[in-house]
Parts: sequence; C-alpha cells; structure tokens
Amino acid sequence: MPDIEIRNLTKVYEESGNRIVAVDDVDLTIEDGEFVTLVGPSGCGKTTTLRCVAGLNKPTSGTIKFGDRDVTDKPVQERNIALLFQDIALYPHMSVQENMAYGLKITGFSREERIARVEEAAELLQITDQLEKMPADLSGGQQQRVALGRSLVRDPEVFLFDEPMSDLDAKLKAELRPVIEKVTDEIGCPTLYVTHDQEEAMTMSDRVAVINDGRLEQVAPPKEVYDEPDSQFVSQFIGQPSTQFFDGNIRAVNGTAELVVGGYEYDLAREGLEGWAGDDVRVGLRPQYIRVSDDPDAGIPATHLLDEPLGDATHSFFDTEFGEIVVVTDPDFEGNGEEYGLVFQSDSIQLFDSESGVRIA
Amino acid sequence: MSQSEPPGGIFGLSYDGETRIFETLKLISTAIIVLVGAWPIYWVTQLAFTEYETVEDVVTVFPTPDIFTLGNFVVLTQPRMYTYIFNTVVVAIGTIVTVVLVSLIAGYGLARLEFPQKENFARVLLIGYLFSPIVIGIPLYQIWRSIGLLGTRIGLIIALSAISMPFAVWLMWKYIMTIPEAHEEAAWVDGASRWRGFRDVVVPQCRPAIIAAALFAFALAWNDFTFAQILLPQTDTTTFAPGILRAMGQAQFLPDAYLMAISLAMTLPPLLFAYFMQSYLLKGFQVRAL
Repeated sequence: MPDIEIRNLTKVYEESGNRIVAVDDVDLTIEDGEFVTLVGPSGCGKTTTLRCVAGLNKPTSGTIKFGDRDVTDKPVQERNIALLFQDIALYPHMSVQENMAYGLKITGFSREERIARVEEAAELLQITDQLEKMPADLSGGQQQRVALGRSLVRDPEVFLFDEPMSDLDAKLKAELRPVIEKVTDEIGCPTLYVTHDQEEAMTMSDRVAVINDGRLEQVAPPKEVYDEPDSQFVSQFIGQPSTQFFDGNIRAVNGTAELVVGGYEYDLAREGLEGWAGDDVRVGLRPQYIRVSDDPDAGIPATHLLDEPLGDATHSFFDTEFGEIVVVTDPDFEGNGEEYGLVFQSDSIQLFDSESGVRIA
Repeated sequence: MSQSEPPGGIFGLSYDGETRIFETLKLISTAIIVLVGAWPIYWVTQLAFTEYETVEDVVTVFPTPDIFTLGNFVVLTQPRMYTYIFNTVVVAIGTIVTVVLVSLIAGYGLARLEFPQKENFARVLLIGYLFSPIVIGIPLYQIWRSIGLLGTRIGLIIALSAISMPFAVWLMWKYIMTIPEAHEEAAWVDGASRWRGFRDVVVPQCRPAIIAAALFAFALAWNDFTFAQILLPQTDTTTFAPGILRAMGQAQFLPDAYLMAISLAMTLPPLLFAYFMQSYLLKGFQVRAL
C-alpha cells in the first residue's frame, strides 16, 4: 500500500474580496501504515487540509500523492479513501447492514460477498447483534463503530478521520480509541486523524502534526512533541495543564549565559545561548516541573488560591508577581490559602524567541 | 384579591374567568368554521343520497330510509362522465410526477450548488403567483394552439405543473438544506457519483417533502377549473370540473341530486388522500424558513 505525500498544500478562500489563507504551504508525508494526527485549535486549517486530501475541497496550489498516483485533481470517488465524519453521517434511512454494505454495492460486489464482508467487520467491531437496527436506534458510540465498519469493509487505500469523537463523552472516547487503533492496524494503510483534542493526538498517533494558523508548527512522535516542542505554540497547546509562560532576559555572566526572570536568576548551563546575551526571551515551564516549597523565601513567593484534586494529582493555582501560576502538586496537597515559595526546576525550562515564538533552548 | 391568589391575566379578570371566556370564544369560532366549511359538504352528501324527485320538490335535511337511494350514482356510469374522470386522474397523476421530479432536481441544485444570482432566481420563481390563472390562461391558449398542445392532456399537465412548481421548488430547496451534506459526502467517499448519491441518499430522506409537494400538486390539478376550461375546449375530452359545468348548461336531463352525487364522488379522493397523508404533510411543511 502507498504512502500519502502532501507537498506545498495551500488553500485560499476568497470571500467578498477578503483573502483567507486556510492552509499555508503544508508539507507532510504519512508512511504506509503510519498513524499521523493533525492537531490544532479550531479554525487552524486542519479540517481543510484533510478535506483536500479526501478530495472534498480543491487545493489552491500544491500536490497530493498516494504512492506514485497523483490524486490532486482526482474527485473523491476515485481516490479510494475512507473518511469518518464528525457528525458520523450514517445514512438514516438504511439499516446498519445496508449502511456498511453501501460502498461494496456501488463497487459491484455480489450480495453474498457483501454480507460476508459486513459480518466479518461487524465481528471485529462487536456490533454483530446491531446489524438489523436503524442508525437512529444506536447510541453515539455504536454509530461511530458502524461508521468504522463502513470504512473497514471497503479496504481503503487511505484512512481519514475528521474529529470523529468530538461529540462523544470522555468515557466513550477512551473506549473507542483502542477500537480505532485496531481497525487502522487491521487495514494497515496510512491514516490521517484530525482533532482538536490533544489527548486523542497523544494516545493514538505514531506522529503528531501540530498546526496553527494554517502552518505546520511541528511534526514529531507524541513524546517528542511534549518534551521538545519546536515553538511556544506547541508547548502551550500540548500538555495538560498547559505550559506556564514568563518574560525573561538572557545575561552573560563569566562567559556563561544566565536567565533572569523578574528578580530571579537561573543558571541554565546550556550551550548556544551566548549569542542571545542581553536579549528578551519567552520562558516556558510545564506545571509538572514547578515545586511548591513551604518556605515562602525559597523561590518565588506565592499565595495559594485553590486546588483541583484529580485523584492521581492535584492542580494548584497560585497568585504571584507574574500573575496566576498553575502547579501540578501531590495528590494529597492542600494549600489552604497560605503563603508558599515556587521553585523552578531549571533544567526543564524551555526558552523561546519572544517575537517569533521559535524554540531557542 | 388575597395575596396567595395569582394576579389576573391580560384582561384583568381572574384566571378562571379568562379560561371560561377563552373556551367560549373557541367554541364559537369552531362553530363558525364548521358551519362555513363542513355545512356544504354535509349538504352535498345528504342530497346525493336522496331520491332525485324528492330533491326537486321539497327541502330535506337527512336521507331518511324512505327517501334514501344509491341510484343517483348511476350517473357516473355515463360514458361521458367516465371520460371526465379518466382525464382528471391522468392529468392529476401527470402533474404530480412532473412536479415532484422537477422540484427535486431544482431544489437540489438550489440547495447544493453555487451559481450567480441563485437567491434572485428563486425569488423570480414566485412571480408566477402574481397572476391569476385566467391571465396566464389566455396567452397559453394561443401558444398551445400554435404548437399543437391545445386540447391535449399533456398541455394541461404542463400548465398545471407550472402553477404548482414555485411552491414545490421552494419546499424541496429548504427541505434538502436540512439534510446534512456529510451524508452525501459519505456516499461519495463510498464511491457514489453525485447522481447516485442524490438518488440513494437525498431522495429517500426527502419523502415528507415529496409527499407534501405531491399533495399540493394533486389538490391543484384535481380541483382546477380555469386552465382545463381554457386548454381543453372540447366538451368530449375535458376534465371533470369544466365538464360538469357544461353538462349543467346543456340543459339535458341532469337533476340536482345527480350533480351532488358526481360532486361527492369527485371530492372524496382528495379528502381521503389528505387525511391519510396528513402526518407527512405536516412534516413536509415544518421546514423552517419557508
């Protein structure tokens, strides 16, 4: 099976004289059998990108290739793709069985073959007892399973997902995620999954592509996107609770670079910072790497505001001279509105260019 | 008035008093509607089942057993009546089929395709309603005569379809807009062509709108008098409505009771049709923004 190759994809909408660049020069290759998630906030162009790959939207420029086949100008019917929609889009007037068999019917499979394939897929998805029902009689999770089945029976060349789980509740999402992975493994084709939910992106993907304002910010395995973000946007978007940001300055002291945030100095002992001496930078630190000390004089003085106990950890909010700071604390932590000191774990500090947001160190 | 009692309604009366007045007014208005709407139907019905000699001589209000008869309905077996009824049925069915087919395709185009002046195009359709049938009928007579459609059922079907079309197209347009585009896109992804997706996914979901449009077209075609009178000028091959009027005018043996029997027979189909389809009709008309 082929890979997906997206080259210089750009999509511009002209609306009453306004030029809106939805997708801006996106390059992305998805290997055969690879699961890539396109993640970003709403309106960032991720769905437009997917619809261009599907053939439902026509790109303004750029090419899309499935293996050696250039499909840029091919209509959706000729691309042999599978697509899961946000609103599921089962045919409401057909039974589950007919829904799943519709694609096969159009391709011209015999009745026996259709039934056999549908039953095989239904078994894998555990919906064998639902085949006679109408879509309206199914729950949201079951409907999405049927939609998966509709794609599975056709054995597509490329599998696309357009926020398929955004209308489901958290528990159903967690239940459906392994099912989606099972199905994409079974088909073994390249998969492009679009979502605004970073948890989905992190849990299911081989690689995560973070997109913002129509531009790809970073494409990397989930762990790398989390640990080594390329930009301030990626650092802020991936991870829960999100990265805390401060304004800082780099100062050269005795030949090494030192970071100054407010009145506090951090010796970063990192290479390559010498050139930045005297410059303003944006400082990012994940809430997991901030320690709360009972001594208000240790680190940044902070007044405790409130706790959000989650069971396995607590998110604690503090009021400081830099504004509100969130810290991930021990599950048993109770701040009771008292004074604390926040200590930054300096080797986990991320530095970004204060103008472009690009990662410095 | 004590504190616990709620204040009165908009007329400053107590709630009980207002409810009573409201109920009374409702009864009165119902009575008026029944009188105006149902009384003629009742009158037609009771006369149709009364012996025609009795109808000619005295005023009756109910076909009691001594004057009850089904004999009036033999008038329907006259060959000419047969032609009238046959023509009416053919024209009604032809109009329904034309209206449904054309409005489905036009409504789909308006709902799914972008073309310049789309909204204005739809509005212009409604201009057809500005003219009474007689205004359109006379030029149509001349046009139909010169292209040979005068006196044909096809000619009448075309004219009646044109009259039903604006409403039907608007209905379909707005109804198809309520069907998510993703349904069709799913069909395209499955490999269906645009036409196939329209046929397999859009049309089946339009059933309430199709039935509403069909009923509308049927009522118009079945009850049409003006166009049939103008476009089917020959007495032998016309439809029921003008046919019966001409039969009356020709002063042959056609007592009132026979007329009532024919009228009743021709009123029943639309009545039954509307009654059994009313749930669909309501669903079809429920489309917002129509």
